[in-house]
Amino acid sequence: MTEGFETRDRPRVVALRVAQAVLLSAWAGMFWFLVASGQSWLYVGARTAWVVPTGGVVLSFAALGRWLSIRAPRPEPFTSGRAWALGLIALPVVVVMAFPPSSLGSYAADRRSAALGLAATGDASEGEITLVDLGAALWSEETAAALAGRAGNEVSFVGFVTRREGMPADEFLLTRFIVSCCVADALSVQVRVVNAPAGRFEHDQWVEVEGAFYPLGDEMVVDAARVRAVERPDRPYLNV
Amino acid sequence: MQTTMEARPVATGRWRHGLVVLAALAAVGLALRLAGDAGGPQLRTFVLVFSSLLIEAFPFILLGAVVSGAIEVYVPAAAFARLARLPRGVQMPVAGLGGFAFPVCECGSVPVARRLAMKGLAPAAAVTFMLAAPILNPVVLVSTAVAYRGRDVLWPMVLGRAGLGLVAALAVGWIVARQARGELLRARPEDDHEHEEHRASGDGVRRRRWPAFFEHVTTDFILLGKYLIIGAAVAAALQTFVPQSIIGAVADAPILNILAMMALAGVLSLCSESDAFVAASFVQFGMGAQLAFLVFGPMVDAKLGFLYAGTFSRGFLRTVVVAVATITLAGALWLEVFFG
Repeated sequence: MTEGFETRDRPRVVALRVAQAVLLSAWAGMFWFLVASGQSWLYVGARTAWVVPTGGVVLSFAALGRWLSIRAPRPEPFTSGRAWALGLIALPVVVVMAFPPSSLGSYAADRRSAALGLAATGDASEGEITLVDLGAALWSEETAAALAGRAGNEVSFVGFVTRREGMPADEFLLTRFIVSCCVADALSVQVRVVNAPAGRFEHDQWVEVEGAFYPLGDEMVVDAARVRAVERPDRPYLNV
Repeated sequence: MQTTMEARPVATGRWRHGLVVLAALAAVGLALRLAGDAGGPQLRTFVLVFSSLLIEAFPFILLGAVVSGAIEVYVPAAAFARLARLPRGVQMPVAGLGGFAFPVCECGSVPVARRLAMKGLAPAAAVTFMLAAPILNPVVLVSTAVAYRGRDVLWPMVLGRAGLGLVAALAVGWIVARQARGELLRARPEDDHEHEEHRASGDGVRRRRWPAFFEHVTTDFILLGKYLIIGAAVAAALQTFVPQSIIGAVADAPILNILAMMALAGVLSLCSESDAFVAASFVQFGMGAQLAFLVFGPMVDAKLGFLYAGTFSRGFLRTVVVAVATITLAGALWLEVFFG
């Protein structure tokens, strides 16, 4: 099938341009889906959350412009190479829409850096103790000193279970990632949970831990009073 | 005025190519859906890093394409002719400092730089702008300051990053200055077509510019999007399979520690707006090595490598890697002596 263009003054619909318009619309649709479903929090942090709706607007603008200019005064070959190039650019949309929603887990925690060098979320000597404070205490002597004075305080953390080889059955690491812009820059924070119900929680399972917090040397430990399974939070990553 | 095209048996409407590609995409989608969690943590990590890099970068690529299209279609060529007449020694520093005025990140600056060079700006100046803008960018400098707040090296890091970034960008601009436009930029078949589109739209009584604008936006987006996706896939694979702790062993080795952090920046392919938080987490590395990460990464990384390959001639990537690495290493060592 050809588009049979003979003159420049009779614009016709060009197949290549229609395919480009469909591609841009698909990308715009994906961005709006991420905004509407809240799934953008699986990919970006609070600092760059604005990028997703902005991407939706700009991609919608580009898609609309392409739909309005699908006619051309001369033919444009829709070759196999061009079709596959468009397919490659559509691939991330397929990946995001088809892959079941998920977040980084223990495998990534083993391969990524720990969130060292963070500043505490506030004055760690008072108020609620956060996982970010714990990350800060691993590096900052000031934060570590502030937290040392609060040994025995009650804490409540949400994260996922990371089990390391050789750990006693009633212990695990509670892990959470901190994201600045997107998942590619995720850094992990971990706290050791002791006296947890033995064998009840699986690797990578999301849990809420309540208990007393103790800084022991270079390690932060929570003596668990209660551990319960929870759903993955809508915002699985903490932000700085 | 009518221009009759010579009749050519060009296969123009191959919808079936589109259908084959759609079928392939559907198959990939179905496989991913079925694999799901059964695909293991490696697949999950790869998909999340790959998708998040692109969700973050695509809006900026498109914004870059929109700015590039607007420059091509709406900014009169005479404006660039005046700029192009300025001595190169003036164009380059001005272009380098342009990042303060045009806060674009590294993905957005590539199409803009290419268009500036096509419009008549000295290619060396366009390259200087492209490399400097992702660092000399108010948003990036503020996020660097936030990442290092509360530390003694806050100002050396922020100012060192800006200063060393500008020097490296000017140096690369200076090195490529002897190359002509045609030698530096990779030729694209779309360019000829775009010009014809311009002429065609100018043939009528009423000249409509917006179809040409959207033509530029779409072609830039598709060309750079293709390279960005390949670069993001490489970066995601490296992030998934190569543990970051691999470089920990050289944290105290002089020079090697700086080279290791530059290599890490090249592998991770982070956005320049967020990389300072990752650099700051490498507390076992000295200030010079962290600074090297922050200067090298926004100019050379896996995803940018593919973007450069699609935009510039062969050899450009090698020039950028060698020049930026050398200057970053020298600058980082020098600053470490003073502030380390």
